[in-house]
Amino acid sequence: MMKESDLVTTNKLLLDIIKTNLKGEGLSWLGAWETTPDQINSIGKTFVMAPRKTGKAIVQLSDSQLAALNEADLTYIAQWSIDRLCRVWLLSNLPATDQDKLYKAISQLCLSAEMNEAVALYSALPFLPFPEIWALRCAEGIRSNIGSVLEAIMENNPYPAQYLDEAAWNQLVLKAFFTEKSINVIVGLDERANLALALTLTDYAKERWAAGRKVNPQLWRLVGKFTNSEIFEVLKTGLQHYDQVEQRAIALAVAGSDYQPAKDYINTFPELKNVLTTNSLSWDQF
Amino acid sequence: MMGAPEAFDISVVSGMKFFDPHVHMTSRTTDDYQAMADAGVVALIEPAFWLGQPRTGLDSFRDYYSSLIGWERFRSSQFGIKHYCTIGLNSREANNESLAEQVMEILPLFIYKEGVVGIGEIGFDDQTAAEEKYYRAQLELAKEAGLPVQIHTPHRDKKKGTQRSMDIAIEHGLDPYSVIVDHNNEETVKEVLDRGFFAAFTIYPFTKMGNERMVEIVKQYGPERIMVNSAADWGISDPLAVPKTAALMKIHGLSNEAIELVTYRNAITAFAQSGQIDEADFNTPQNIDQSVKFEGNTILRGGQQPRADKSSMIIS
Repeated sequence: MMKESDLVTTNKLLLDIIKTNLKGEGLSWLGAWETTPDQINSIGKTFVMAPRKTGKAIVQLSDSQLAALNEADLTYIAQWSIDRLCRVWLLSNLPATDQDKLYKAISQLCLSAEMNEAVALYSALPFLPFPEIWALRCAEGIRSNIGSVLEAIMENNPYPAQYLDEAAWNQLVLKAFFTEKSINVIVGLDERANLALALTLTDYAKERWAAGRKVNPQLWRLVGKFTNSEIFEVLKTGLQHYDQVEQRAIALAVAGSDYQPAKDYINTFPELKNVLTTNSLSWDQF
Repeated sequence: MMGAPEAFDISVVSGMKFFDPHVHMTSRTTDDYQAMADAGVVALIEPAFWLGQPRTGLDSFRDYYSSLIGWERFRSSQFGIKHYCTIGLNSREANNESLAEQVMEILPLFIYKEGVVGIGEIGFDDQTAAEEKYYRAQLELAKEAGLPVQIHTPHRDKKKGTQRSMDIAIEHGLDPYSVIVDHNNEETVKEVLDRGFFAAFTIYPFTKMGNERMVEIVKQYGPERIMVNSAADWGISDPLAVPKTAALMKIHGLSNEAIELVTYRNAITAFAQSGQIDEADFNTPQNIDQSVKFEGNTILRGGQQPRADKSSMIIS
């Protein structure tokens, strides 16, 4: 995950943003927290009551703060509300001296988390000490049925790609398709593509077609480089649907594969051959 | 009082917004949520209650409180209704003292959560010593947290139980204006209002208040500090009690202002003292055609559910 030196810089940046977004009561509440001697023992109440002290407005950023967020690859934080940011900061700054104690304190919060608390808890994953101990908690979160909680785990969150095992990762991606999340902001999507996932996704596509429903074109991005004779048959079915978006997505997927029969097949569609040779397609367009 | 059944004609109150400050949605179906949204209910409060049979352990309480602020709130949002709750140890289960002690220990973890608008529903059932002990302890908790209190008054020996609940609240230094006394009837309402408390009425068939009687009460006492609720739960109850009562008031000639106070505004005034109700969260117009997508993004907010057309034979 984040190197310790990066984490220190990031935490400073987050605190700076929090301070410029808080007023009187919120600032004195934060000040009192910063001087609390045994923070792990009192994180419960502080974490829970944060919105009562910070409000829930979307954070306002100066140009230099925004630039620093961009620099740290944290641009998405610009969309967060102040209570969410503050809660993430509270968790990521807990003393990392006693792993057991920290694990128990944060697990306790998860047990009774309401929706916005759960969002903050999962948003905090990339910033927590001892990153490997939260993997099961993260996998558990994917079982949630609450949209905003799933978004906090799936979208713009670097933690899952780095720490989930393959089964849990595949569940995350599959569920993201099922629940219509923004696939293109899943961090590590291409890097963690794998054959098992590609096969599951092609089955899913067939199911959708059988039900007369459309397939999210981003799906093919995870399939292309694993194209074999079995997957090729599914791609052919998709190409024969004459839905232009779907066809183009499949063509782009095949462009990333080494499976020659599929490439030859794409070339029988003049329009697809043309967009591929002119390199005019990218996954961001879908 | 039982006249010929009269059909509920929602058009009488169409365009009005309603706030149901006492309804146990955990016990209701999604069809109820849709019917409530259709009838103009924009927000509700779910008080913590017992579940029809006693819980045997602390974790059952923890999970119940968590579901009120978690899953049930989310479920409600899918139908465009803003869900708040009050958290407390109910009077019946206060009688299991060893469990009650444990529950009191976890209450502070819940009462500061977002959307918790009060301590409730607490008070008396059998009016035992244990009930009084935990009622008092929770009044202290409310005072410390600066939260309103939602008082459940007993079915049996109601008048004395109601008086005793108010006496004790005042003894603990609570401002009557921060206390909502629930399940009133013709016998209790005058004293509750005279002493400066909010008076809530539960419109519940057979056992509590009927809405024809409710119309008479508002005519007699005026709309100030009075609110109606459905208290719909797992019993024979009606989640549309608030809009139906509004319609009946309209037919009987009460002013729109009075109806709005009793079925919407007074509840907000009382529970917004928690600092947890932002009217902007629910008074913006709801989207009608939920299937419209904009650039591939659904307009349904916060995971709202698309509606199935139930009049259609085709289910797709």
